[in-house]
Amino acid sequence: MTPFDFFVLSGLLFAVGLFGVIVRRNVISLFFSLELLLNSANVLLVGFSKLHGNLFGEVFVFFVLAVAAAEAAVGLAIVVALYRYRKSVNTEDFSILRW
Amino acid sequence: MREVFFYLFAFLSVAFAVVSVTHRNVIKGGLSLLASFVALGAVYFTAGAEFIGIVQVIVYGGAIVVLYLFALMTMDLKSFGKEPLRTVSLAVGGAVSLFLLLSILYAGYSFYEGSVPATISGAKELALPLFYRFLLPFEVVSVLLLVATVGAVAVGRREE
Repeated sequence: MTPFDFFVLSGLLFAVGLFGVIVRRNVISLFFSLELLLNSANVLLVGFSKLHGNLFGEVFVFFVLAVAAAEAAVGLAIVVALYRYRKSVNTEDFSILRW
Repeated sequence: MREVFFYLFAFLSVAFAVVSVTHRNVIKGGLSLLASFVALGAVYFTAGAEFIGIVQVIVYGGAIVVLYLFALMTMDLKSFGKEPLRTVSLAVGGAVSLFLLLSILYAGYSFYEGSVPATISGAKELALPLFYRFLLPFEVVSVLLLVATVGAVAVGRREE
């Protein structure tokens, strides 16, 4: 496998995730797309770590995983609280800050 | 052999990612996201990043997606309603993501030649940089996880 293969995989995952972030209106689906974006960055980090022969990229992937877990926990708590308050997970219903 | 499995699992990962983004049912989307992450863990395995592959399956597959599915169980799925598909947002999303895909491929084109060396990095190899050179970030991440746990409980708590 060439390093370009990692670019293709990462780019495809990023494109799919970005498409989901723009098109979907469901907050849970938006979270799924965000996780895909994080994962596409991880793919390139692992690929370059292997290419350069040092492990710093993989250590960084480890940190990204920890931060993603924290983000998922806090984000889901916010979504559950919002759902309790508005009885909806559609982003178009969360417009109280808009004037 | 390594290449075959790399392409197979990379294809599976992207295919399940497409399903998880486009499927109308959120539960099925979450399950295909789980499949996508497990396939991505297998991709890390074929690249020789053994420890990262295991952690990917445990953390993403076992913790994050299951957390989403548990949160979905507390909600009424019938109240989610239909998502209207707007042509404008479809066109904008498709154009922006296609542009980003092409620019990522353009940036990576100079790496078209050459091959990734087949080295295995397990837990033993990863422990040395993690616990010597990046010890302070490691400790900071542990504090971050504690803060996130307390914050999630505080935010998600029902008001008396």
